[in-house]
Amino acid sequence: MRKVLTIARKEFSSCFHSWVGVLMATFFFLASGVFFVILVLSYAKISTNPQQYGLSNFSGINQTQYIFGSFFSNLSIMLLFLAPILTMRSFSEERRQETLELLFTYPLSDFEIVAGKQLGILCFFATLLLPLSGYLAVFRSTGGEFEWIPVLLGFLGFWLLGSAYLAAGVFISSLTKSPVVSALGTFSVLLVFWIFDWVKDIATGPWTHIFSELSPLAHYKNFTLGILDVQDMVFFCFFFFYFLFLTLRSIETRNWKS
Amino acid sequence: MNNPDPSSLIQFENVSKKYGSFYALRDVSFEIKEGEIVGFLGPNGAGKTTAMRILSGFFPPTSGHVFIRGVDMFKHPHEAKQAIGYLPETVSLYPDMKVIEYLRFVAKLKGVPAYELQGHIRSRMSFCGLQDSGHRLIGRLSKGYRQRVGLAQALVADPPVLVLDEPTTGLDPSQIKEIRELIRALGQNRAVILSTHILPEVSMLCDRVIMINQGQILASGTVPELASCLKDREAIHIRILDNQDRNLALKLLGSIPEVEALKAEEEVSGETFISFETSPELDLRPRIMKLFVEQGISLAEIQRQQLTLEDIFLGLLKTGKLGGRFS
Repeated sequence: MRKVLTIARKEFSSCFHSWVGVLMATFFFLASGVFFVILVLSYAKISTNPQQYGLSNFSGINQTQYIFGSFFSNLSIMLLFLAPILTMRSFSEERRQETLELLFTYPLSDFEIVAGKQLGILCFFATLLLPLSGYLAVFRSTGGEFEWIPVLLGFLGFWLLGSAYLAAGVFISSLTKSPVVSALGTFSVLLVFWIFDWVKDIATGPWTHIFSELSPLAHYKNFTLGILDVQDMVFFCFFFFYFLFLTLRSIETRNWKS
Repeated sequence: MNNPDPSSLIQFENVSKKYGSFYALRDVSFEIKEGEIVGFLGPNGAGKTTAMRILSGFFPPTSGHVFIRGVDMFKHPHEAKQAIGYLPETVSLYPDMKVIEYLRFVAKLKGVPAYELQGHIRSRMSFCGLQDSGHRLIGRLSKGYRQRVGLAQALVADPPVLVLDEPTTGLDPSQIKEIRELIRALGQNRAVILSTHILPEVSMLCDRVIMINQGQILASGTVPELASCLKDREAIHIRILDNQDRNLALKLLGSIPEVEALKAEEEVSGETFISFETSPELDLRPRIMKLFVEQGISLAEIQRQQLTLEDIFLGLLKTGKLGGRFS
């Protein structure tokens, strides 16, 4: 366990050592801030004159739902860009710099290496979410009101979705030597999963159900609505551990390949 | 098969490694005991790095066994890897880490207990001459210093076996000298195996040499054995002015049974340079001079030279063996 934590810590701090990590954190913080402000302002605008927006009465709109629900849905789109960039270095960079070779000769199991790297990235992702609580504080202090449970569930859902995407990214990073290829590959895979969510809108038949069940976004939607469903949790866990398993297999291939 | 000799720290047993249908190593066996520095000698692509990587546990062999302190490397990798310090061919370290940070990272991964971490790293750093470079970024270090960090990294957790893959390539002469001194000091109570294609390095550092080519061991022996071999080989160099006499000269030399490894090269100014190997007991020079004068060959120079390790090595590569002296 100490070894896993050692690798996780190194991975975590290397995110801060590189401009990529810091730039992504700043970008994420600013962009999510813009989303949040726009949502708050648009809510304020509707609340002053609901009729203009085709709403007969205003009471039907829930403040938490309108602002935070949409906020988390928008954030999930940012993850499509964030996850490939955060994970592109994890294995690809080490392969390119050939530092992985040395790591394999230490008394470590492959699982310890993969788990450590994954844990480090998850922690970095979690720290990206911390500043978001600042928005809540500002919102609250300026007189906004929200319900705690749906907001916390939104955060949980977002973290789970992010972890799933990052696991996929780490796997793809383990396949290639080039960080750029890794980022593009991860982006394409995440895009395909994203499109799964649309299948039910454009096609009919029993198999469309399979696609939407496979889509992480469909499962994430429940969290943004403040619904906690065991099915969704199981889905994300499965998604995460499946890609963790694939990563493990992928780095084991060195045993039978040149 | 599974009966490793406990006195030898490294034991390679019929190790083969295949990449597709290409054999990088074929049936290689050797043993290394404590206190020995063994040189692994071979041209580029001979299989040195493959052997080093198998030895370090980076990947398993296609067939055969590797024992480190009697522990099978691929059955109990944890235990075996604990006993190994490995310096790879290209010392690639994390460029964005500080030296001390990196060594701390390695020490934790190698299981050095937390309470002795600091002292342990300090002593490795001062041994490798890094005591003033602890807070420098690895990416900004010169190649020589990076090599030292690589060596320090290999020494963390006191492994009894050191595997060094071309430890002196890319260094300047004074750095090479320093690294060699470090290796010599380390070899006293460890088993050190180092690969190289620099021949003088072997005679300077190693107690024993294993020559390898195309994945197979050509010869292995101690340095005195090699030296005795050096003594009973010598080369004779002949220079001829007129290159029209070349074929005649080669024919004459070819008819002498003691002449081995005959070869001819054209020089820039139209002169021909012929060399061959022979044994030193019979000095062929007067005989050749007489022959050449009789035939009217424009002999300009005749010279005898002792064979260097290089000549032996090249000869071995060509013929595959040298009188069965080492095997």
